Amino acid sequence: MKRSDQLLPGPAHGSPWASFWPLLLLLLLWPIGSFLQNAALFDPYFARIICLVGLNITLAVSLQLINGISGQFSLGHAGFMAVGAYMAAYPAHAMLATDAKDAHLRLLTNPLAPLLFYLDIAVVGLCVVGICWLLFGVFRLLRRLGNWAMAVGLLVVAIWLLTDMAMGSGQDGAPPPYLVWSSLNYWLHALFDALLARGLPMTHQVAAMLPGAVADVLKGPVAYFLTCLVLLIGGGLCAAGAGLLIGIPVLRLRGDYLAIATLGFAEIIAVLINNSQPLGGALGLSDIPRFAGFGWIYGVAILTTIAVWRLTHSARGRAMLAVREDEVAASAIGIDPAHSRIMAFVVGAFFAGVAGALFAHFEGYITPRHFQFMRSIELVVMVTLAGAGSLSGTILAAIVLTVMPELLRSFSEWRMVIYSLLLIIMMLLRPEGLLGGRELIPRRWRGDADVSA
Amino acid sequence: MSLLEINNLSIQFGGLTALTGFRFALDPGQLVALIGPNGAGKTTAFNLVTGVYAPTTGTIALDGKSIAARPPHRINQLGIGRTFQNIRLFGQLSVLDNVLAGFHQEITHGFWGTLLRSSHHWREEREHHRQAMELLKTFALDSRAHWQARNLPYGDQRRLEIARALATSPRILLLDEPAAGMNPTEKAELMQLIRFIRDHFHVGIWLIEHDMKLVMAISERITVLDHGEIIATGSPAEVQANPKVIEAYLGSTLHGA
Repeated sequence: MKRSDQLLPGPAHGSPWASFWPLLLLLLLWPIGSFLQNAALFDPYFARIICLVGLNITLAVSLQLINGISGQFSLGHAGFMAVGAYMAAYPAHAMLATDAKDAHLRLLTNPLAPLLFYLDIAVVGLCVVGICWLLFGVFRLLRRLGNWAMAVGLLVVAIWLLTDMAMGSGQDGAPPPYLVWSSLNYWLHALFDALLARGLPMTHQVAAMLPGAVADVLKGPVAYFLTCLVLLIGGGLCAAGAGLLIGIPVLRLRGDYLAIATLGFAEIIAVLINNSQPLGGALGLSDIPRFAGFGWIYGVAILTTIAVWRLTHSARGRAMLAVREDEVAASAIGIDPAHSRIMAFVVGAFFAGVAGALFAHFEGYITPRHFQFMRSIELVVMVTLAGAGSLSGTILAAIVLTVMPELLRSFSEWRMVIYSLLLIIMMLLRPEGLLGGRELIPRRWRGDADVSA
Repeated sequence: MSLLEINNLSIQFGGLTALTGFRFALDPGQLVALIGPNGAGKTTAFNLVTGVYAPTTGTIALDGKSIAARPPHRINQLGIGRTFQNIRLFGQLSVLDNVLAGFHQEITHGFWGTLLRSSHHWREEREHHRQAMELLKTFALDSRAHWQARNLPYGDQRRLEIARALATSPRILLLDEPAAGMNPTEKAELMQLIRFIRDHFHVGIWLIEHDMKLVMAISERITVLDHGEIIATGSPAEVQANPKVIEAYLGSTLHGA
């Protein structure tokens, strides 16, 4: 019975500040690492590996919430990463383009500019969601007549959309009003551009109107910090929005079907980006200010871990676990399974988006190829290796699976073979994961209730 | 007007009529049994009341308001709890966590309260922990609160499922074959437990059971179902004497059990 004791993610009942020691370790090492990196004491290759590990920790932990704790099967995590990356890189890149091209990081001194960008996105996004909602309502009405009516309706709308867009493309200026979809497309773009175009000059005007002392504070390191923060949170929120958009329709799917739906979603994101000129298309976005170093990356990793830990070890986390174990029983005791699932999806997507934003500002350039299916698979492998529900296992797995391919570099062409063999062996010997769903700390330190048990 | 009122309830699955013309009423403090041969439609009736199925015709009203075809979690929040024929515990969670899950609907602290660990969050956690342990104590499971639920012996798993259902503060409790798989001693204890639950928690209990001794001993009223139709209702004595019931169901069991 001792062994079973430790498998329980019971709620933290005692000290509110109880966290587990890999996290404590990170908290201690964080200022040291930041300092060392700034002092450029590390070999750049080594420093890069460490940063990649940090990114993967955030990504793996956020995926653990979706796959391990709420029991869904998401194969599209890289898609959320991509949304976060592009939605953060685009305003940063745009700010660079409008201002002069020197001393990249000094230019990140205007927190209001990206804020306006995200407001634009929200407005345009709400319009698009509103249109989808109307269409959805129409389809539901049709469905009352029968499934055939809905199928015919879908076909009609699809053909209408395609011919409309075909006729309206390649024109300069506003399309004629009878081409409803092209006009909609055009005016939404116009709205977006107008808001964005007015944004930067407006914020400069606003900044000019601020009293001297406030303007000085907002210029220095505070402004820099705030701008970076706005970019990261904005990217995360966009990804969270995407999580909501994808989470709601796929609510009724389970297991493999959900996996395929999330995979499809990630592909849609990739295709949309590939075909989007402002986002750089297949060539990607470059000249992204590289502010994300050890400090930002591990700061986010620590916050993500704390957030996911707190969510799991709470009543809401119990609800997620209950829904994972037995959905019918969970709903019979008053837990709304849809609510739990969506919450996990959205929170997981948020942190994936923040990780994506960090990645963009770490590399300095991003292309759709950075967020392909293989990336999602790498993350799923990390979560599987960790064992469902174990956060310290996830951190360990992220470290191991990021470092291992690098360590194996000396084996050149045998590298991937050995890596894959090691994965197979690990799964054969320890299918329940590195820590078997447990955590690395004794119950007492986790602050659980009944130590005497 | 009763707390739970069912009128003319029926459900059809394609060509199969699983239940037809079903009528029922229950108030808190009552203990009523639903019996019938296997496949008579008893669990189907439970599933209709708890929102797993939507009825084809008929009404189900709780406190006068219709609950037919509502989502199961909503129906539980309105005051109907249930256990299942095949035990559906959260196996990997602890005994305590299983019961704590039952308190989920009473949470008032929000998502941010959870993330930021507000005092509101801690207050409610402590309170729910206390209530859960009290409930476990009533069911003699408190010493094993940190066991994994699936490691409990069978009889204790059944009791845990009932405890979990009671954690949701129901006014009506639906027990689906709670004595299945128990030996005579355990059944006698269960009988005591069910009576105790009715009195202590002041719920109305609706029971599906196959063990006739248990049913006759504790029920105030019995409804007999066969092939989806009610063939008799009344006190245990009346039902035992009813020739239709004897013919459909009780005949051989009266002498055997």
